[in-house]
Amino acid sequence: MDEEKKSMKRRSFVKGLSAWLLASGAAVQAQAFSGKIPGRDEEDQRYVGQEGKRFGMVVDLRKCVGCQACTGACKVENKTPRHHFRTWVAEYERGEYPAVHKVFLPQLCNHCASPSCVKVCPTGATFSRGDGVVMVDDKVCWGCGYCVNACPYDKRYFHPQSKTVDKCTLCAHRLDSGLLPACVESCVGGARVAGDLNDKKSQVSRLLAGFSTAVLQPSQGNRPQVYYIGLDGSVQNQVRGTVNLDDLARMRDGKPRREWQTAYK
Amino acid sequence: MEIFESLFTISSVTPDRPWGLNIPNYFWFTGSSAAAFIIASFAHVFGIRKYKPVAGFSLLLAFVLLVAAPLNLIDDLRQPGRLFNFFLYGWDHFLTSPMKWGVLLLMAYPLLILFEALLLYRTHFVHKAQEASSALARGFYRLMALGNMRLDEAALQKDEKRGFVLGAIGIPLALSVHGYTGYILGAVQANPLWSTPLMPVLFLASAMVSGAGLLIVLLPIVQRYFSPMQRVDGDMMLALARLLGWFIVIDLVVRFFWLTFAMPFAGDSGYTLVEYFRHHFVGVVYVEYLLCLIVPMIIVFSPLAKRVGWVFLAGLITAVGVWLFRWNTVVGGQGIGRTATGFLEHTPHWFGPDSITAIMANWGAFIAILAIVMLIFPWDREMAEHYQGEHHGKE
Ligand code: SF4
Ligand code: SF4
Repeated sequence: MDEEKKSMKRRSFVKGLSAWLLASGAAVQAQAFSGKIPGRDEEDQRYVGQEGKRFGMVVDLRKCVGCQACTGACKVENKTPRHHFRTWVAEYERGEYPAVHKVFLPQLCNHCASPSCVKVCPTGATFSRGDGVVMVDDKVCWGCGYCVNACPYDKRYFHPQSKTVDKCTLCAHRLDSGLLPACVESCVGGARVAGDLNDKKSQVSRLLAGFSTAVLQPSQGNRPQVYYIGLDGSVQNQVRGTVNLDDLARMRDGKPRREWQTAYK
Repeated sequence: MEIFESLFTISSVTPDRPWGLNIPNYFWFTGSSAAAFIIASFAHVFGIRKYKPVAGFSLLLAFVLLVAAPLNLIDDLRQPGRLFNFFLYGWDHFLTSPMKWGVLLLMAYPLLILFEALLLYRTHFVHKAQEASSALARGFYRLMALGNMRLDEAALQKDEKRGFVLGAIGIPLALSVHGYTGYILGAVQANPLWSTPLMPVLFLASAMVSGAGLLIVLLPIVQRYFSPMQRVDGDMMLALARLLGWFIVIDLVVRFFWLTFAMPFAGDSGYTLVEYFRHHFVGVVYVEYLLCLIVPMIIVFSPLAKRVGWVFLAGLITAVGVWLFRWNTVVGGQGIGRTATGFLEHTPHWFGPDSITAIMANWGAFIAILAIVMLIFPWDREMAEHYQGEHHGKE
């Protein structure tokens, strides 16, 4: 009899405990645990972006002279670490003498409408703001590198200090205070134009309406929001050509090998 | 080729890549674990008597491999201290990030093997608990017996039934745990080498090869030096050798389908792959295929398979070969340029996270955990009992 009572008591205790756990679990779930990241839960403007807008860029390649002013401006504005760049202008030579011309390809994160980096991120640290800017929360990222591999445009790298992923934010901090991205502001030829694609009167919208444009690697299905006017077909998809001269020069100068470096045979 | 060669890169940024030695090593461990589990299930679930003597050891091996494997992943994280972020955030990416759901499988699977092993050896732990002199030891063995000290017929039957159910659930789970690692790569559409729905199947097929290979390497060592029999079961080695042979055949067939579709019929990425395989020709064709798959396949299907030494050799080179396949896939695949032209090369460093010594430490941990598990579990006694039975022990 005593035993039975004890066991009854125990059972009701267990029942009570589990009910309590369930209830508190549900409460936590409903309030704090949305499974997203804190910035978005708190609807912090830096995380949700500017309502109703959709930022993008049009690069008019006819105007780009390959001066790398944008590369430098970005480096200064965003204090990117040594050897790492959020944007740069790749330079190619096309054809064989005497039929040659140069191709400049300014490139940055495309702030894709269907970003493969966001899809694969297991912590939610990489996300798209409501206005289309793709961001990384460096307080949340655990540094697995999945997004670095998933971006078809090689626009992500590990920041050696924060040990998290870093990339172009389209200068969201500047956009949010009504300024233009540093690369746009510094572009000497006016080749880079950024703005709201939803606003039909914005300069980006008018360029898109008035010219035929193309995006990089359209077959990846990422729907990039950086558009190019006058894009050379030879660099639109995965580029195939001679290896990077920078790395060949490193080899010639007998510099130590980097962890990842262009292979030469 | 001429059309490609008329584009000269003057300057571009050489990108970094995130995954080094850790990841192929992790893939190799989970894959071999899945295979060891399947081989154990041949006896436990499908009731194939031939594999009974190795089933217990194989199950424990599967467990240990899967305990050691995730250490690679933690080492690979640039922010390992943020492990908890995985559980707190990012659930809205559940369906699109194989890493998200994969980690859940990765946690469930070793637990399942552990419970299956504890059920399998429960009788032993009950006896141990009864014999134990100190309270601590008694408590430990009681825990290992899952708190159930009954040894009557009904209780044993229940164990068997539960073990069968766990084993049966374990088979799809083992396949998914390794399948998801292939899924992780297959889902990266930006990488022409990885992006194929065949990737999980390819990974599973080669995993069976490496798992059988590993078992063939370990079995003679443990039988000869750590079991009461003190000798190697040649019949079992022959059976495992033939099994390895069929796994290699399946692996080659899957790879045949992969390569014959991925190169000529895959649109733009096909050209990249042709260049890729041209670039890695010696490593892939001569080493990975010829030396590490075809040669062992010939050994295990020939009369040489009756010689333990030859089987051991075949097992060893297939296990190494599959490791190379993982390396070539993970590291070689990342070497394919997207914004940079040509191929990148990876030079692993010696010290620090994701380094050569880190991998060696992981192997050290694997061997240490295996030794502990082999000490606690009576796999040797169980193995010896099978040899006293009617089917084995005579030559
Ligand atoms: S360019 Fe790369 S990093 Fe930027 S949004 Fe697209 S996939 Fe993500
Ligand atoms: S490295 Fe960071 S941002 Fe990238 S997928 Fe992993 S957790 Fe997400």
